[in-house]
Amino acid sequence: MVHDAQMDYYGTRLATCSSDRTVKIFDVKNGGQILVADLRGHEGPVWQVAWAHPMFGNILASCSYDRKVIIWKEENGAWDKMYEYCGHESSVNSVCWGPYDFGLILACGSSDGAISLLTFTGDQQWDVKKISNAHTIGCNAVSWAPAVVPGSLIDQPSGQKPNYIKRFVSGGCDNLVKLWKEEDGQWKEDQKLEAHSDWVRDVGWAPSIGLPTSTIASCSQDGRVFIWTCDDPAGNTWTAKLLHKFSDVVWHVSWSITGNILAVSGGDNKVAYTL
Amino acid sequence: MEELDVEPAITNIPAASDGKHLGFAWGPGDILAYETLYMAPGAKGSGCSFIHEVRKDEDIYSPILRKLFNESHHIFVGLQTIREDLPSKNKKTQFVSISKNYRSVIRACMEELQQVAASVLVLQVSILLAIELIWNLCEVLFIDAAPAGPLLLHLLDWVRLHKGDVDEKAREVLQSESPAEHHDYWDVVVSYVLQGRFEEARQMLVKQATLQPAARNMYKLMDTLLSKMPFYNPGGTQTLTEFDVKWRHWHEEVDRCLQDNSFASNQHLEIICKILVGDEDTLLEHKELLSTWYHFLVTRLLFCHPTVKPTELHYYAQSCMTMFLDLRSVPEPLDSILLAAFEFDIHQVIKDCSIALNNWWFVAHLTDLLDHCKLLQSHNLHFGSNLREFLLLEYASGLFTHHSLWQLAVDYFDNCPEFGHVYLELQIERVPLDTERKALKVLRICEQRQMSEQVRSICKIMAMRALRNNRLGSALSWSIRAKDAAFATLISERFLQDYCARGTFSDLDLIDNLGPAMLLSDRLTFLVKYREFHKLYEENRFSEAAKLLLSLITAKIAPRSFWMTLLTDALPLLEQKECNVVVYLLLELGDMEKI
Repeated sequence: MVHDAQMDYYGTRLATCSSDRTVKIFDVKNGGQILVADLRGHEGPVWQVAWAHPMFGNILASCSYDRKVIIWKEENGAWDKMYEYCGHESSVNSVCWGPYDFGLILACGSSDGAISLLTFTGDQQWDVKKISNAHTIGCNAVSWAPAVVPGSLIDQPSGQKPNYIKRFVSGGCDNLVKLWKEEDGQWKEDQKLEAHSDWVRDVGWAPSIGLPTSTIASCSQDGRVFIWTCDDPAGNTWTAKLLHKFSDVVWHVSWSITGNILAVSGGDNKVAYTL
Repeated sequence: MEELDVEPAITNIPAASDGKHLGFAWGPGDILAYETLYMAPGAKGSGCSFIHEVRKDEDIYSPILRKLFNESHHIFVGLQTIREDLPSKNKKTQFVSISKNYRSVIRACMEELQQVAASVLVLQVSILLAIELIWNLCEVLFIDAAPAGPLLLHLLDWVRLHKGDVDEKAREVLQSESPAEHHDYWDVVVSYVLQGRFEEARQMLVKQATLQPAARNMYKLMDTLLSKMPFYNPGGTQTLTEFDVKWRHWHEEVDRCLQDNSFASNQHLEIICKILVGDEDTLLEHKELLSTWYHFLVTRLLFCHPTVKPTELHYYAQSCMTMFLDLRSVPEPLDSILLAAFEFDIHQVIKDCSIALNNWWFVAHLTDLLDHCKLLQSHNLHFGSNLREFLLLEYASGLFTHHSLWQLAVDYFDNCPEFGHVYLELQIERVPLDTERKALKVLRICEQRQMSEQVRSICKIMAMRALRNNRLGSALSWSIRAKDAAFATLISERFLQDYCARGTFSDLDLIDNLGPAMLLSDRLTFLVKYREFHKLYEENRFSEAAKLLLSLITAKIAPRSFWMTLLTDALPLLEQKECNVVVYLLLELGDMEKI
């Protein structure tokens, strides 16, 4: 059974992963469905796939129950393993590529409670940073904040490399939603958001439309979907708003490209659109 | 929209077996849904491994509608350029003319669809018909904003335009052997009267009159009544009050004929007389000929209250709708929309149309036009954007998923001052760069709007792609355009490696003509200068060549890996009597070796 499916940047290719341990890539241009690649390498059900930005080439990350994260790359029309990360002690549940402004960086959340950040440093080398005990019992989802330069509403002097602040949000089995920020090369817990009464299954940071507000969606085993908003650019005060309480587990939340629609998938099988 | 007070539409996904949870992924314009492993407790089902594509509207893929999108885009862009400082009277005329342009585009599209005559398109045609009907009414009430007097005349035009079957029937009757004896004859006459088309009614009646010489006087009387009915002349010198007085006189005259039983012996003429006096029951007896409550409304106004004021319309509209639709309890969406228009509730009209229609085209363009007419109060939605901008953004976002219509969307985003730019930034990165030509098109759009991030991103993508396909020259020019020093260095390395392997350079044209762009990266500069060295050598300009070689070393931009190659290149210079240069070279290299 299919566990996750993701369209690439242009909607021309689809990657799916499943409990049969494979990752499949389809060409879906013009309504067709042609199998382009069948990637084998995992030894357990594959939970999630994520496409990297096309400027790095055709790169796909997958994570699995077998505790591994595999990064696949297409070279000369053939897909192959680019990198394999085995640093987790338990199932890796979620992978998410950071905004391309940060380079090629992948966040991975695992049932061992840790979150790893893999950064491509060139020449087949990856730098690994690990946040241990990010969530007690396990981490279920990770999602990056859009790249925003602090004070970006003011013009940056041209020619200077902007000072990005890297942030992402994670959800875990401790019922918490946590925000993480990188400071001086180290990852620190920035915020702890409590509202759910059961495992947080998915989190999603909404795309930026230039306003100073940040918005995060979280969904949980408790059937609730919360929308978290922060109005101050420093990112310190977050307010929760209950979007809806469903009658069953909510597995997945996902923002549209411009962030005005949130799609929610839950146990009572309604895919709801909300503005 | 936050004030959604109707249940959102439910789309069922077929073949999804019970109990399995659905997963999904966003595509550019659609959603993929698939079954996952997760099951609700107690569910069975073996499940299927299909992936379903759920798409909101298919309209953008219709080839005939594409003309609608293209031409309305043209009108839209023209509308945005109307100067703010024009006097309002001139502006109104322009707005009305633009409104008519939009409507003629809709009509043209409708006609094309009708000619194709596929059953699938019947729905499409009826939707367009409804859209044009609504737009026309909005034009009359909101944009032209006719006052009492001309208002009724415009409404009459509106009804006549949307009741085409009268002319068809009339043609049939007139082309028959004996028109006055055709079974539809009286229907046609009455229809003409109901629409206020008295000239045509009179011409038809003449035919009947000749057949019944005994009733000549009656027909003469009817003819007189019809010819004397006053119609308000907006361009004339008569004031509305004067017209009203005249009309009342005429009305009394018609009433007298009724009381006198002047037409009692001719059932048809009696009916027409009753219509002329505005008898509601008689009008309602002709529901079939009227066919809609709004026709009934306009006819009733024509014969009861031709000086109706805009503000009085909604009383009449509501009561006419109630009288006409007495059997049906729930009005259809179109009815509610028209009623809202008669009530001058513009926001309700837009809201109802947004809900009822599949595609944002209509509400986006109409709202934009109404906004230009300054008819929309600022109506804030939860992300602070006003209504016009919200609708335009939605419409344009929908266009963006189409492989060629996305270019139209750019102009719409350009004219949304608050979020247009950022929406464009987010969307334009998703346009597949299938060909170099398309990439250049997208690039030009980004460059024109100072979207430097997107420019860089696109150039990097193209550079990467070119490199993977071993098109080094293309990769190099893309990375220069992206101002990507690191990538330029990488590619220059490849060039140099190629040279070492094959002894020649590729893409000489490019390298020779880089100009100041060569300064992007040290390696690139070296590549260009090294090539220059070779050129000088070939042209037998040995001393210059030698000097260049030396400067390459002293400036320290020659990569270490290349020193052997440079030395080898220097050897022939010994023969050319540039020995001292070579000596210096060796000394330099020796120095650097020590460091």
